[in-house]
Amino acid sequence: MNKKYIIVALILLLAISFAVAKSRKITCSGSTTVLPIAQATAEAYMDKHPDVNISIRGGGSGVGIAALQNGSADIANSSRVMKAKEVSQAKSKGINPTPYAVALDGIAIVVHKSNSVANLSIAQIRDIYNGKIKNWSEVGGPKLPIVVISRDVASGTFEVFNEKALGGSKVVSSAQLLASNNAVASTVGSTPGGIGYIGLGYLTEEIKTVKVNSITPNTKTVQDGSYPLARKLYMYTNGKAKGDLGSYIAFIQSDAGQKIVVEQGFIALK
Amino acid sequence: MKKLLLATLVGLFLLPALLGALELKISGEMWNRWTLEQGKVFADTSLTAYKKEITKNFFSLERGYVGMEAKFSQSMKGRFTVDIFSSDILKDGAGLKLKYAYLDFSNLIPIPDLTTTVGLQKVYFGSIYDWSYNLIGKAPTDEYKYANSADYGISLNGYLPGGWGEYQLGIYNGEGYKNYGSNLKDNIDPAFLANLRIVPTAGLTIGGSVMTNGSERKLKLADATENSSYNTQLLADGILRAAFGPLDIWAEYLYKDISYAPNFSAKDYSATCFSVFPTLKLKSLIGADIDLQGRYDRSDETRMPDSKKKNLLNAWTGGLNFNFMADDSGSPALQAQLNYVRKDYDEDASGTDYANGKKDTDTVMLQLKWRFASTIY
Repeated sequence: MNKKYIIVALILLLAISFAVAKSRKITCSGSTTVLPIAQATAEAYMDKHPDVNISIRGGGSGVGIAALQNGSADIANSSRVMKAKEVSQAKSKGINPTPYAVALDGIAIVVHKSNSVANLSIAQIRDIYNGKIKNWSEVGGPKLPIVVISRDVASGTFEVFNEKALGGSKVVSSAQLLASNNAVASTVGSTPGGIGYIGLGYLTEEIKTVKVNSITPNTKTVQDGSYPLARKLYMYTNGKAKGDLGSYIAFIQSDAGQKIVVEQGFIALK
Repeated sequence: MKKLLLATLVGLFLLPALLGALELKISGEMWNRWTLEQGKVFADTSLTAYKKEITKNFFSLERGYVGMEAKFSQSMKGRFTVDIFSSDILKDGAGLKLKYAYLDFSNLIPIPDLTTTVGLQKVYFGSIYDWSYNLIGKAPTDEYKYANSADYGISLNGYLPGGWGEYQLGIYNGEGYKNYGSNLKDNIDPAFLANLRIVPTAGLTIGGSVMTNGSERKLKLADATENSSYNTQLLADGILRAAFGPLDIWAEYLYKDISYAPNFSAKDYSATCFSVFPTLKLKSLIGADIDLQGRYDRSDETRMPDSKKKNLLNAWTGGLNFNFMADDSGSPALQAQLNYVRKDYDEDASGTDYANGKKDTDTVMLQLKWRFASTIY
């Protein structure tokens, strides 16, 4: 008799456990650039689907990809394409990383609003970040030492900037390495000689955007690819997104979702 | 000794900053373990009969890894890891051992996703280099003395496009990281390594490693006679991993061929080991971050010429990991591990050193492991 009770109790415990595990929860982790898109679209999606709970964390693209690999996130937000090493590591753990483009972005080169410099070439940006150009007067600006502000290596924004602007060359050792787009925007805004790079969604009144190769980052130049620092922003899932996950990503890619993307300062996919 | 340890640690930690690293990360992990082992001991002074008895019952700090990673440029980074361990053999009751100390160069050879690693580094043989200690025991390669987990050398580490896998080519001392300075034998034969892992589809990994090595100094001694201990080794490994849903199973086959000089070829032998280690992750099933672990090893050294030492071991492990905390990437930061290990030497196939089950053991280990990682600047 006692055995029967124990068996029934165990079955009930298992059933409850499965029910808890199957609750409609989506976890996102990763890029701080994609973060505002994920937050705003999640809020809008949850308004329409109150039974779905979407939790979102930052940490950087590298952290999000590792979380997807370890099964602790359903979505890895990434401002760059996954590397061969990351894809290989994920696949060997049974995770099949599948990318969904959710927005377009341009990496804006920003300076203090008092800085008179309006345009920089890719070569000048590289020389500034390499430490070869040390003063704004060398690029037509005021006599003011340049304060180089960059991002930490977990950042996908850094990886794209490193590839497209620096060509893999070394950032000057005196550069300040900051952990988020907000931190870069805030520091450049309070540093007269500062230069930094951030996603378009993080532009504020306190900072000034400079043209790159005489091209302004805007909807047209990012969508047609003429802006040199244009990129796609991604959400990676394990295999094809299905169920609530698929529904949420489809919402972001829909007209309603892309409207939110634009409201957040980014550029729609089309 | 204490001053030397302190000076070494401080020096190692200051070095990257002095060299102007762009980024500096510190990480570490500590393994606090309780071990309870039952084995056989002589029953009386006649030294003929045996009885079962508790032979080990102690707490220990098995590992105290502290590591630092310094990024000097976008294409060069360095890493070192020291192992601080408790030991009653040393005067101060503690020791310091360098486990890794290497530089990674990602632009020396213009092949995408290829890194050249120079220094004291991982040995990319079998499962030893990505053994994450989900079980308390060592990787089969390490446990059964096929290859060392780290060694001094140069390796090329690459990833295949599209996430199809990875490959490594390496040249090492072949003596292992525990041998250094005057303790390093004057073995003039370096070890050569090739390793390949293919991931044809998500969840399925097929891999293999080959390593050649010379051991025990050189063939000709100073007086031109042949060294009877000198031998050459051929090591091979095959791996199959299947990770689907909550189940992750590894199977590994190891082969070792030891050849002596012609005058001593009677000592030649080969050995094999087959291991399988499954993990069932319960988190997706019950919500709690608990993993069930299993392992079976069959180590066959029955072809050893020494009839006393030849042996056939069957070892079973059952375990449970409870992950209390995880970091942002989902890796366990605080983990409790419980393992039961039974080692059973086959009476018929093993030599007299293993007769009467006198080397059979039952071991329970409970381990609390904690890790940390932080970017300093």
